[in-house]
Amino acid sequence: MELFANLWAWFSGLFVITPAWMTLGAWVAVGLTIFIFSFLYKDNPFFKIAEHLYLGAGMGWWFQVYLYSIFIPKVWDPLMAHQWGVIIPAVLGISLVTQFIPRISWMSRYGFTFMMGYGAGLAVPAGLSTDFIAQIGGTIEPLSRMASMTPFAIFNSLLVAFGVICVLFYFFFSVEHKGAVKKVSSIGIYFLMIYFGAAFGNTVMARFSLLYGRFDELYTYSGSNYFYATQVILISMVLYFVVHALANKGKKGTSEEAA
Amino acid sequence: MKFIKKQIPLMIVMVVGLLTLASYYVPNKHSVDYIELLSKWENIVMAFAFLLGLISLFYSHYNKISRKTDGWGYSLFVYIGFLGMVVPAMMNGGRQMVDGRLTMLGWSFNYIYNALSATMFAVLAFYIVSTAYRSFRIKSKQAFVLFLAAFVLILGKVPLGQIIWDFLLGWTHATVSEVIEWIMSVPAVAGKRGIMIGISIGAIVTSLKIIFGIERQYMGKD
Amino acid sequence: MLKEKLEKFFKIDRRWIFLLLAIVLFAPIMKPIGLPNKTISRDAQNAYTFMDNIPAGSFVLFSLDYDPSTRPELHPQAMAMVRHAFKRDLRVGVVTFIAGSTGLISQIFAKVPGEYNKVNGTDYVIFPYQANYAAVMTQMGSDLYGIYDKDQDGRDARTLPVMKGVKNYKDMALVVDITGTSILDQWVAFVGDKFNVPVVGGVTAISQPGYGPYLQTKQLKGLLGGMKGAAEYESLIKEPGKGTSGIDSLNLAHLLVLILIMTSNIILLIIRYL
Repeated sequence: MELFANLWAWFSGLFVITPAWMTLGAWVAVGLTIFIFSFLYKDNPFFKIAEHLYLGAGMGWWFQVYLYSIFIPKVWDPLMAHQWGVIIPAVLGISLVTQFIPRISWMSRYGFTFMMGYGAGLAVPAGLSTDFIAQIGGTIEPLSRMASMTPFAIFNSLLVAFGVICVLFYFFFSVEHKGAVKKVSSIGIYFLMIYFGAAFGNTVMARFSLLYGRFDELYTYSGSNYFYATQVILISMVLYFVVHALANKGKKGTSEEAA
Repeated sequence: MKFIKKQIPLMIVMVVGLLTLASYYVPNKHSVDYIELLSKWENIVMAFAFLLGLISLFYSHYNKISRKTDGWGYSLFVYIGFLGMVVPAMMNGGRQMVDGRLTMLGWSFNYIYNALSATMFAVLAFYIVSTAYRSFRIKSKQAFVLFLAAFVLILGKVPLGQIIWDFLLGWTHATVSEVIEWIMSVPAVAGKRGIMIGISIGAIVTSLKIIFGIERQYMGKD
Repeated sequence: MLKEKLEKFFKIDRRWIFLLLAIVLFAPIMKPIGLPNKTISRDAQNAYTFMDNIPAGSFVLFSLDYDPSTRPELHPQAMAMVRHAFKRDLRVGVVTFIAGSTGLISQIFAKVPGEYNKVNGTDYVIFPYQANYAAVMTQMGSDLYGIYDKDQDGRDARTLPVMKGVKNYKDMALVVDITGTSILDQWVAFVGDKFNVPVVGGVTAISQPGYGPYLQTKQLKGLLGGMKGAAEYESLIKEPGKGTSGIDSLNLAHLLVLILIMTSNIILLIIRYL
């Protein structure tokens, strides 16, 4: 046991982060980034490796966070301190894992029903007050103080109220759209379209921002202090595709597009 | 046996559900104690629920490796990635900084997980552009309204777009930011609020169905 | 003849479009255009004003719930708002419900507190990740130490100077949630509405339009949307950062999308009437 602890301490000591580690980190980050981007050109083994690493690393990250913020401080430590109350949620939690053993998988129902009951019990009042009553209130309330509003503000609050009614008509009378109902609900569609259009416009900005974030990092790591990580890896990747294409020339068509 | 397998779980969902629901409206010490205790429990049960996902991922990739299916070698990287986070975490008890210095875990986060996760989502930017080009078709009045709203938003969010707007539409005396503000706070609110009210009704009904054991698909078959 | 030629435009290998986007987004990073964000949206202004009017020494709770996948949008927002809080000498508490954000929180607090001489435990506190937001939000309504008895470094939270006099939402001046998930909705529903605490949000541009209803009803006191929101807040606190430089780089890419949508639809029109 002691030997193991000593070995572990020695092993951990190897990983003290030095400036060299930071440079290595830049190369790793650039490599993984470019591997994933390479999929845009064509599926390839480098992308697949990065993709699988992502799955594992994501799970690993989550696991260690759960381990050090819940399993150890909220389950293990209380048990060691003889606070037996924690056994109940732990048993409910463990029951979930019986899912994988068909013969006793019914036990997992105890855990699931607990979670569902809790979730449903919270969802009803919250949904009722925040998304239902407060929203109807927010639609009606401005209409009550029209006297103190500008004509444009009055128009806006009326438009919101009218729009909400039309959209609700569209949702709740979707079976039979005839006559007046049809007219009202088709106006509802226009309000939905404006919302979706705004959402699409904003999505474009959001996606570009994420890409900007990656490019910004690639640019940072292209500097001489990182030994031109970006340039070197990018060129290697291009070379790989060229060599791969040349090697496969004559074989069946390989220029299929990335999915 | 049916009692243990089915009735008790249904009783749990009903009792827990109703008590939790009631605790929102009953401002009294018992209800606060109840919700505190249950919240602590739920927090722990949720952590175990995460293990479900972890086990099934490990299991499926273990199968790929043991059966040597196509591309099984890649599955090894799932485990490598996992260890690449968990082993460093164990060196410092899950801390990314110790005395202002980056630990190995912090390093793994910054250069491996961060790079992978951020890039996976950044790739979508490319697809939204090619979709915009290939499938954003104005074929109906509704599509035109959608296009108009999207157009104003895309244009007005960047300074260059604002300059173009002022150049072309400056005579209207409405800046593009004002137009965006109006779209977002009037017609878009109407659309979204309709959706919200609709969804909240659906969610309340579903929740009540769960509490009273009418909806029990999540329990699986007998 | 012309028609076939035009139709070819739609069959163009999409990788050319990919390359075009890469160029128009990368070029301004290498050489900035110099057109940073100038306008301030009403919601960002409201968020700023609210934070700016909190009396110094008050406790503000930050719920930072975003992971690397939305980092370029939300990290600058969080940086700017935390900076503002420190500038105003507010006490800062940090919680999170997204496992991937713990690393990003470390990055913020490795950098920002030093700029304002703020000390961990005295001026700010970081609590460990918790899995279930609904449970924690409810718990903090009565006694937050029931769940956060220790801070991230394992210190007894009750004895930390920063927590002096803070037990539940009644002792907090504001909750700020920055997230790429629907956790902000839960802050509004479970905390803002129920315990009457002011809530300010920071969200991705994608989900920004969805919060219009909460803003109109004042269930949300203010909102930052995407990278533009970050840039707006940065200019309000006069500390330009990644949001400001980011917007500059997005100029050309936004224009590219508009040109592409219009080109394809104009071609479509010509084909139809040819």
